[in-house]
Amino acid sequence: MLKFAGALLLVAAGTLLGWMNAGRLAERPAQIRRLVRLLSQLETDIAYGLTPLPEALGRIGRQASEPLASLFRSAAVRLERDGMAVSDAWRAALEGVWELTAMKNAEKEIMLSLGNTLGATDRDDQVRHLRLAVKQLESLEPEAAEEQRRYEKMWKSLGLLGGALVAVILY
Amino acid sequence: MPESVLGLLPAAIAAGLARLPGEVLGGLEEIRIREGRPLEIVTALGSRFVSASGELSASPAGAYRPTRDDCVRLLDRLSNHSLYALEEELRRGYITVRGGHRVGIAGRAVLERGAVRHLRDVTCFNVRIAREVPGAAAPVLPHLIDPATGMVRHALIVSPPGCGKTTMLRDLARQLSYGPETGRGRWEGRRVSIVDERSELAACVGGVPAFDVGPRTDVLDACPKAEGMMMMIRAMSPEVLVVDEIGRPEDAAGIREAMLSGVRVLASAHGGGFADVAARPVLGELVRERRFDRYVVLGRRTAGGQRIDVLDEQGRLLTAGVGTGRTGADGERRDGRPAGGIAGTGGRRRADADVRERADAEARERSALRREAGLPC
Repeated sequence: MLKFAGALLLVAAGTLLGWMNAGRLAERPAQIRRLVRLLSQLETDIAYGLTPLPEALGRIGRQASEPLASLFRSAAVRLERDGMAVSDAWRAALEGVWELTAMKNAEKEIMLSLGNTLGATDRDDQVRHLRLAVKQLESLEPEAAEEQRRYEKMWKSLGLLGGALVAVILY
Repeated sequence: MPESVLGLLPAAIAAGLARLPGEVLGGLEEIRIREGRPLEIVTALGSRFVSASGELSASPAGAYRPTRDDCVRLLDRLSNHSLYALEEELRRGYITVRGGHRVGIAGRAVLERGAVRHLRDVTCFNVRIAREVPGAAAPVLPHLIDPATGMVRHALIVSPPGCGKTTMLRDLARQLSYGPETGRGRWEGRRVSIVDERSELAACVGGVPAFDVGPRTDVLDACPKAEGMMMMIRAMSPEVLVVDEIGRPEDAAGIREAMLSGVRVLASAHGGGFADVAARPVLGELVRERRFDRYVVLGRRTAGGQRIDVLDEQGRLLTAGVGTGRTGADGERRDGRPAGGIAGTGGRRRADADVRERADAEARERSALRREAGLPC
């Protein structure tokens, strides 16, 4: 009886693992789309509102949903409270938050390089860099969607079957 | 030195400056930061270089040399991490920060159709520390109020950069607003409007003046002067209008307009003296039209004090060396009489006699001018 319960637990754990991986795959294109929207909003704030960067980041941080909200919020706090330079604050915020997102290194690199120019150049240049980042992120989205299509089902079945396999072997 | 300045500077520079003796920090006028070149401070006594450990020296040898990183960080903080929001400031070459301090910047200009559009590679900073000096205008105030009618005279304050024009103008606004106290008793307070294009006079933070500019004073912050003067006249019905650093053609038009509206105007302009102002194209026109009743010329500050001359509408010296307790270098009036400085040799009675005598002379001269112009006297 105890053995059977253990086997059930193994299958359940395997399934859960598969679902979590599949969930990350499904989350990634959605988060990229959200990030693109937030960056466009930042572009508007910078180009038309001439809003100071800490204020603009803070506002986006309040409107966005987690985990991206904490990225903008923590960058704003680091600028305002700690007086860090933009590139440092942006990098620290990315390092702190990235683990919580479903996005990969390619997206992180784009965001990191955006941090080097954010706030430090004139308006036209800011718009150029933000649009470049948006374009690069958008180009990653089909790839992420393709990955989702290909591997989402696979991860789900793999988790269930893997759990079952281990249960059978140990039974 | 105010905290607001120290908080702006990069850590390495702030650390050196924080170790300076208190009296040096208290008298600090400028901090000059240039990438790769020695860190310099300017006080009333002159310029000194500062080492990383806060030692002062007249020679640049042991001084701290700000790095590129220092400059990038400083610009980042000066701009509140938002250089894109400062296009106008970069075009003009200075940024006014919290507390009214003005930071002049220089680097490499980016041109667009021949006009400066932007500055990049900013590597030179001049942090000018703004200070409130209540009473700075006391020595000249009696000259700017007509003793008979109590009317404020149109006046232009002239000096080279860094000699206290803005400080004096700010204190004039404050005193006129509170109700000025002169030798003839206390005058009533005036409604004062300040058009503060550079945010230096009142140092507004979020629209509220950081400096005391008086209880009857309205401030229009960061507005172009010419447009701002008309807005204030229409909106706030001022008795006295205060503007800093005039010089563009539209400023002159605004000033004429304001004077013809019955508003008294106090303004300031760059220049070494009356002759400089008269030679400048736009200001010279105002001078020839005799728009200003008085010119206040501020000299360089030295250890012995500062020379302040007051001139009449034709540029004739009325008093020299006001406020320093000594007569100015050219102790002669243009008309050959010795210059009796009010704070120097002459007592009140003598000054009064002087004023009457001068008024008579002015009246005679005016009627002569009118005769020349073919007008009835």
